[in-house]
Amino acid sequence: MDNSFRKIDIDIYDEDALRDDELYETDPRDPAEVLQDAKQRQGAVRGFLAKNDIPGALTVILENAPYGANVEEAKIITLQSLLTILNTTKATEITGVVKLLSQDTQDTLMKYIYKGMAMPGWGDISGSVLLGWHEKLTEVAGVGCIVRTMTDRRIV
Amino acid sequence: MPEVFTLAQTPVTAHSFSADRSQLAVSLNSNDAQILTRQGLEWVPTVTLSEHDKLITSIDWAPNSNRIVTCSQDRNAYVWQEQPDLETGKLVWKPTLVLLRINRAATHVRWSPREDKFAVASGARAIAICSFDPENNWWVSKLLKKPIRSTVLSVDWHPNNVLLAAGSADMKARVFSAYIKEVDERPAPTAWGSKLPFNTVCGEYSSPAGGWVHTVGFSPSGDVLAFASHDSSISIVYPNGPVIHNIRMPSLPIVSLSWTSEDTIVAAGHDCRPFVFSGSEGGWQEAGTLDDTTSPRSAEPRSGFGPSNSVGRLRTSAFATFRDADSRGQSAIAGSASPTADTKLLTIHQNTITDVRPYEYSGSNVIKVSTSGVDGMLVIWDVNAVVALTGRLGGAHLM
Repeated sequence: MDNSFRKIDIDIYDEDALRDDELYETDPRDPAEVLQDAKQRQGAVRGFLAKNDIPGALTVILENAPYGANVEEAKIITLQSLLTILNTTKATEITGVVKLLSQDTQDTLMKYIYKGMAMPGWGDISGSVLLGWHEKLTEVAGVGCIVRTMTDRRIV
Repeated sequence: MPEVFTLAQTPVTAHSFSADRSQLAVSLNSNDAQILTRQGLEWVPTVTLSEHDKLITSIDWAPNSNRIVTCSQDRNAYVWQEQPDLETGKLVWKPTLVLLRINRAATHVRWSPREDKFAVASGARAIAICSFDPENNWWVSKLLKKPIRSTVLSVDWHPNNVLLAAGSADMKARVFSAYIKEVDERPAPTAWGSKLPFNTVCGEYSSPAGGWVHTVGFSPSGDVLAFASHDSSISIVYPNGPVIHNIRMPSLPIVSLSWTSEDTIVAAGHDCRPFVFSGSEGGWQEAGTLDDTTSPRSAEPRSGFGPSNSVGRLRTSAFATFRDADSRGQSAIAGSASPTADTKLLTIHQNTITDVRPYEYSGSNVIKVSTSGVDGMLVIWDVNAVVALTGRLGGAHLM
């Protein structure tokens, strides 16, 4: 059966179509400002990692993480820093770290875990590390955390 | 202990009790609504309301005027009234078609508190507010359209008969004025506003993580609004401020809620068990669940009617396996010795709960609620039997 009709974007014929950016509150910050902020956090994360303060590093990088359109570079920088944190944490410490995070931070962490899993082979992404974090985070924050990753339109 | 009835092997899409709770109207995921009558410990089907030609999505039974309204994916609503038949003189349920003027499925329907209006939510980005026109002897509708951007999934009336809350797939819960000049007296000012011409938007709220809004509900006083969305959270809105308390849950999303008093809500959905939330303007929290998964259970729920349990000669393990695969989407193949035992959920409901409704009142507080589910069950819960939640992963655990 021909399924190509399913790929037709019918919304372009609908003047009143609901656009993606109407579904969430856009970041009031300027893209340049967001990028600047992401770079600063990258530095701060290195400081926390030097002190071996994983929860601190995660909180810094995940609070007010860049989302929405036009901030691709800031998102990539954030993902890189986050992967450094995830990869350097010992597997046995993950549960303890995750429990110290706020609900907001847990939800954002889950978004990045899924983002990472959607980009296999990119940068220093390791599937087994991400799956390890995913398992521990789900144990602590529940499946609700995964549901929020799927529904939240503030895509990281 | 909750009262458990298996009504059918099909999902129960919606249910509504008559005023004296001796009768129950249900949509069993079909084009017909069934009226069941309680006989001892069973619900026996007595009347079938057939008029819709697509799935009935919602039913509401008005307690005082004893009228039933049904709405369906066929874009119609019918008001059913018990009238003596012209020939036999027996009481029969007579339908009246309502002109909804919507071009998509109707999704949810509720009578207003005074039962002179009802609201029909729909996929046409509109809510039809229907009132009776005695001159022409039919129900006419007026559409609430702005600023709805997507399917409306649920509606709930404010006790003043004018304000209406609506939850929509555009991720917003809104409070509208559904003031109809011909029916309503001018309403007294409320916490939601004082000037209320038709289609006034008195408030628009959403959860931080978004998610389409499955269900909305005004508190008994009407001064507080609760809504639950698909981000597994429930939000409680105090209009002055506005102060919004958002509770994120570790479990799956809620699809239906019911206030039981000014400070308590019972809500349920994909997690298969009812949760209780309590609080006040200062803050809200999850108080626990009504489904005590740790208590010992009798093996089988009581049968309502039909072939649910009493399949006679066919009641073999093979039959049970296929029945569960069909009705619960559970397959137990790969070499497990006792398929039903390890695919049965710990919760009473074995699938998503579709509808939570107040069942019994004591004064102005609800003391019992009823839930219906995709598993074909109807359960009546005592709202005071709250047990603390154990485990963070939610109810969807297998035995």
